[in-house]
Amino acid sequence: MTTKKKAAKSSRKMSSRAAMAVATDEKATTKQRVKAMSQAPLAVCETDDNLQKMLAVVRNKDEAVQVRLAALDTLATAAFSAVKFESCRNDYIAALREVAEDPSQEIRESALGLLAGEKDPFVQKKMLEGLKNPQKALVPPEKALQLLSYDVHTEAYAVARDIVKNPPSETAKQEALRLLAADAKSAPLFEKLLRDKDEKREVRQLSASALNALNPDKLQEHAREILLDDSEYEDIQATSLTALKRFGDEEELSKDKALLKSVDRLSTEAKSAKYKRSAKQFLQTYVDKDKDK
Amino acid sequence: MNVELQINNSADANARFVGWCPSPCRIRVTNPSGTTLPTVTIELRSVSAASAGAVVFRKTTNGAFSDTIQLDVPVSGTSVPFFVAGRFGRPSVNNGDVRIEARAKLTATGTPTTLVGSVPVMVRIRKNAESLTPGERDRFIGAFARLNNQGLGRFADFRNMHTTVSQPQAHGAPGFLPWHRAYLLDLERELQAIDASVALPYWRFDQPAPKLFTRDFFGVSGPGGAVQFSNTNPLQFWRTDGVQGITRAPLNNWNPATQPGPTVRTEAQTFALGTNYAAFSIMEGNPHGTAHTRWDGYIRSIGTAAKDPLFFLLHCNVDRLWAKWQRQNSRFDPTQAASFDSNPSNPVGHNLTDTMWPWNGVTTPPRPPTAPGGGLAPSPCASAPGAQPRVQNMIDYAGSVNALSRGGFDYDDVRFA
Repeated sequence: MTTKKKAAKSSRKMSSRAAMAVATDEKATTKQRVKAMSQAPLAVCETDDNLQKMLAVVRNKDEAVQVRLAALDTLATAAFSAVKFESCRNDYIAALREVAEDPSQEIRESALGLLAGEKDPFVQKKMLEGLKNPQKALVPPEKALQLLSYDVHTEAYAVARDIVKNPPSETAKQEALRLLAADAKSAPLFEKLLRDKDEKREVRQLSASALNALNPDKLQEHAREILLDDSEYEDIQATSLTALKRFGDEEELSKDKALLKSVDRLSTEAKSAKYKRSAKQFLQTYVDKDKDK
Repeated sequence: MNVELQINNSADANARFVGWCPSPCRIRVTNPSGTTLPTVTIELRSVSAASAGAVVFRKTTNGAFSDTIQLDVPVSGTSVPFFVAGRFGRPSVNNGDVRIEARAKLTATGTPTTLVGSVPVMVRIRKNAESLTPGERDRFIGAFARLNNQGLGRFADFRNMHTTVSQPQAHGAPGFLPWHRAYLLDLERELQAIDASVALPYWRFDQPAPKLFTRDFFGVSGPGGAVQFSNTNPLQFWRTDGVQGITRAPLNNWNPATQPGPTVRTEAQTFALGTNYAAFSIMEGNPHGTAHTRWDGYIRSIGTAAKDPLFFLLHCNVDRLWAKWQRQNSRFDPTQAASFDSNPSNPVGHNLTDTMWPWNGVTTPPRPPTAPGGGLAPSPCASAPGAQPRVQNMIDYAGSVNALSRGGFDYDDVRFA
């Protein structure tokens, strides 16, 4: 059988309505149901009965978690078909809120992620509650901070600052910093972290990105100084060079002899070939530009 | 003697880009010295390295293409038309990596040997992201980062076009594919205004993508789901809605670098959905929606998906699938029922003659209250689909039915004919 024929057969094998029937059939195996779910997204929108059946699978704590997760994915896929899904949306959101407090962490995280995508205020409320009182937390702090960043409210900044000071994990600290990158008052914090050679390099890279948005002139200043500093890490110098290359003042850069000398050194002495190449590209742009005058 | 070659009927250097679809061109004598003939025979040929692009020619709107053509060009300066297209399978890698040379026969006998003009062109094609050279990759992400410009650039309009408020304009009805085709083209033209050599690549979500999901390209998911980039990647400065970075993590232990999207319909399965648009457009669910929801993060929800640049590569593949299906089934004629699913019951924006938001600027219900971005960006290479495209303007994108409908983009695996 040719590939085309096989595909046609496989596509016909299960119409979306048949897929819907298997997907919601408790007697079918988990594997069969998960596979059927992937072919059912449009059928979910066809009738209210179909939607309610799929929502029932999501809500049913006796179902296998894999099946419930697949049902959530199917509903999320159906939600992309906005016009057809519109009449179902309220029931969908209600079900997501319900299972956001499910015993299964996977179900909770999946539902909360979908609600965050809808900028549902329920997420803000529950995530802040959990960060302030870990006993009420529905998800780990890093996930809570990430979900808060979908719709940033100033109330979250104080919580994020506390986490940066006393992080429960490195991931949580980085998520808190990502959230604070929307807070203009946090620019000095990012300056400090960027210049702290004892800080983790991921944090310093993130700080450069944040500072680029909060105070781009400051980042340009720091980026220049980092490149002039022989004792700096190459990867932080590479991030600094990228910031100068992409967002710097072309005229000023081409006149900055000290900077060009440092970049020239990076282009020959960097341990990473990638950084060498990046420095060479920078020099091609700015040294050649200067020569053109 | 000298001649001027105008690609896409324009003297503008920014118009020197062609695809598989034939571009209208012209040649004229600008300096007749060196001949006494009223008309000279000029041969055009494509000159390039084996790894670069290549073009073919024809004299008229129809007929076969050839590697060279001979044109009789009056020395009076009157233009003579011809057509150029990329040779299928030979897209460019760099801007201007193909040269069209014009050689003239200045006497009544002999062959055209005297070089009288040349012009660099690029066969600019949307490619599989996996096949980009490091240079193509870096130019693309550089242009994208600049369009975003720390969340302050023109990209903000594109982000604001695809939200929960605007979703009925573009989803769940037949206009899904045409709307997203216009959206991608608008974005691509803005990228080309930054770097003319850039074409939007696509992510084959039904195949592993080991080059795309690297720190040097579209990043890898960190432990918390925040996407991590290399220190030389300008996307490390990506920002939308005032929020730093991108959240994107594959679900269910899927590794997109080594595995195809789980349960995502393959290309063959997608084509097997049917030969009429109504049947084929089921692909909005699977593979399109399914490709979105294999991830946790921005790309999983309609309101946040466009915050992630991967969205545009995912949709470029959706559009490629439509284009390839159109080619396989000859579905370019908007007046044929099988090419679209027009129906009076379709919502506004989803019928052939409907204008499309936001390019139409309409902000009264049932349209959204704002129309970000203005008209669809123009191109020096193609006049279609215009600043305020209608659904029907997005169907014959290759100019297969009407040459004037050509939108100026092509896919590496979809022939013109």
